[in-house]
Amino acid sequence: MLSVRDAVVRLGGAEILRGADLDAAAGKLVAVVGPNGAGKSTLIRAAAGLQRLESGSVCWNGEDATRLRGRKLARLRSFVPQRARVPDGVRVHEAVAIGRAPHLGPLQRPTRGDRDAVDRAMARAGVSAFADRKLTTLSGGELQRVQVAVALAQDAPALLADEPTSSLDLGATSVIARLLRGLADDGLAVVLVVHDLALAAAVADEVVVVSGGKTVAAGAPATVLTASLLSDVWHVDAGLVQRDGRTALHVDWLGAVSPSQPLPLNPPGVVVHDPS
Amino acid sequence: MALRQTSVVVLAALIALAAAAASLTLGAVHVPLQDVLDALTGRADAGPLKEIVLALRVPRTVEAIVVGAALGVAGVLLQGALGNPLASPDIVGVTGGAGFGAILVLLAFPGAIALLPVGALAFGLLAGALVLTIAWSGPSGGATGRLILAGIAVSALFGAATTSLMVAYSDRVQSAVLWMAGGLSSDGWSGMRVAWPYFAVGFVVAVVLSRPLDRLALGDDVAESLGVRPRLIRLAAVVAAALLASAAAALVGLLGFLGLVIPHLVRLAGGTASHRFVMGASALVGAALLLAGDTLARTVLAPIELPVGPFMVVLGVPVFLWLLRSAH
Repeated sequence: MLSVRDAVVRLGGAEILRGADLDAAAGKLVAVVGPNGAGKSTLIRAAAGLQRLESGSVCWNGEDATRLRGRKLARLRSFVPQRARVPDGVRVHEAVAIGRAPHLGPLQRPTRGDRDAVDRAMARAGVSAFADRKLTTLSGGELQRVQVAVALAQDAPALLADEPTSSLDLGATSVIARLLRGLADDGLAVVLVVHDLALAAAVADEVVVVSGGKTVAAGAPATVLTASLLSDVWHVDAGLVQRDGRTALHVDWLGAVSPSQPLPLNPPGVVVHDPS
Repeated sequence: MALRQTSVVVLAALIALAAAAASLTLGAVHVPLQDVLDALTGRADAGPLKEIVLALRVPRTVEAIVVGAALGVAGVLLQGALGNPLASPDIVGVTGGAGFGAILVLLAFPGAIALLPVGALAFGLLAGALVLTIAWSGPSGGATGRLILAGIAVSALFGAATTSLMVAYSDRVQSAVLWMAGGLSSDGWSGMRVAWPYFAVGFVVAVVLSRPLDRLALGDDVAESLGVRPRLIRLAAVVAAALLASAAAALVGLLGFLGLVIPHLVRLAGGTASHRFVMGASALVGAALLLAGDTLARTVLAPIELPVGPFMVVLGVPVFLWLLRSAH
C-alpha cells in the first residue's frame, strides 16, 4: 500500500534523511525505531506527504504521492502527530469531527453519514464516554486516544502515528498499543514511530530500523532487534527477552560499549532493504 | 445550536435593537420613536426631525453596527487563524498603520480633513501588507510566531512615526488626541462611502472561512494531514481582518480593544469555540456593544459627548474580568 524508496530530505541545510525506505501493507503494523535524531519522524512525515522530498519517492497504491495532494491523499492515510495542539474551548466530539474534513468541501455541512463516522471513530478509540468534555480537561492518554479518533474519522485505509506514546505512562501506553494493534488486525495499515523497543517488538509485525537518516534493517522484530544490532545502532549492551507473552529489554545500563563502532552493512539474520 | 448559544444570540439581538432605537431617538434633539419610524418608512413630512434622523442618526447608527461587527469579526479571524487568544487587530500592524495615516492627515494636512478616512484606510492596509509580506517570505513563511513578530515590529515603526508627527506638530495635537481616543462621527455617509467595499469583502471572506478555521484547531500538522491548507487559510483570514480593521479605524479611530475582547466574551458566554457560532455572534455582540456604548457616551453627560473608546474600555473591562473569573 505504502512504499517509500530512497527518501532524501534536507532541513535547513542538513541532510536528515539520506536514502530511507519504508513499506506498509493492509493488516500489518510496522514500527519505525531508531536513536534520537535518526530521522524517524522525518521519515514518517515524508511518508504522510507532510515533508517534501529532495529525491526518492513515496507511492501510495503505486501512485506517486506528489501527485496526490490535499484531500485525495487525506482519504488514503491519516496522521497522528507526536503532540497535537490542544485548543481552548473545543470539545472532544468537535475535535473528532475535524477528521471528516477530507470528505467535506470548505462550505459543506456534515451529513448524517459524517456524524455516524465520527461516532464510530469515537467508539473505536474509546473516547465516547467523554465526548462532551473539553480537550483542555483531558489527561495525556485520553488526548492521544482523541487524536487516534480524529484519524479514524478520516476513514483512511492507512494510519501513521509519530511517537503517540512518548509522553504517556505505562497504562496509557498499553491502551494505545492495544488500540493500534487492534486497528491493524481490523485490516488497517498502521505505521508507528516508537522509542520503546520492547513495545515495538511486542506489537509490530515488522520493525524498520532507521539510523543516520538511512533504513539499516527491516523485518520481523525477533530477527532484526538482535543484541549486535542494538549495540551497533544504540551503542548499548542489550537484548530483547520474550517470555509468557511479556516483552522486556534487558540492558546493561552502565556497561562499556565503544561509541564509535561502524554500522554493520549486513548483520546476520537481518533483511536489509534493497531499493532495486 | 444549543440553548445557551441561542440565548447569547437572542440577548445580543435584543440589546442591538434597543440600542438602535435609543441611538435613533436620543440626542441633543429628542425625536420620538414614532417620528423615527415615519422618517424611515418615508411617511414623515419634510422638516428638521426627518432631516436629523435620515442625515445624522441613521448614518451614525449604521456606522456603529457595521464597525462593531467588523471589529468583532476581525478579532475572531485573527484569534482563530493564529491560534492565539491575544491576537487582535493591533497585532497585525493594521491599527498602528491606520493611526499614522489619520494623524498624518489631521496634523500635516488639516485642510484636507475629508481625506482622513482615506489616509487611515490606506496606511492601515499598507501596514497589513507589510506585515504579511515579511511574515510570508522565507522558508518558515506563514508561521504564527513570525507573523506576530512582524506585526509587533511594524506596529512599533508606525507608532514611532505617529509620535514623531505629534512632536513635530505639537501645537495641533488636540485633534489627534481626540481621534486616537476613538469615536463615531456625525458627518453622514461620507466615511462609509469610502469604506464599504472593504467591509463587504472582509465580511464575505469571514463567512467563507468559518468552517475552515475550525479545522486549524488541532494545529498545522493535523490540518495539513486532513488536506486543509493552513497557510492559505491563515493568509485569507489575516487579509480579511486587515480589511475590516483598517476600514473600522478609518471610521471610528482606534478601538482595537473591542476586537480583542468580543470573541472572548462570545466564547465564554456561548460555551463553545465553534467558529460558525463565534463568528456570527461576535458580529452581533460587536454591533450591539458599540451601538449601546456610543449612545450612552453621547447621552449620559449631554450635551457633552464622551469619547466612546475610553468610555467602552472603562465599562467593558469589569464585565470582561468578571466573565474571566467565572469561566471554568
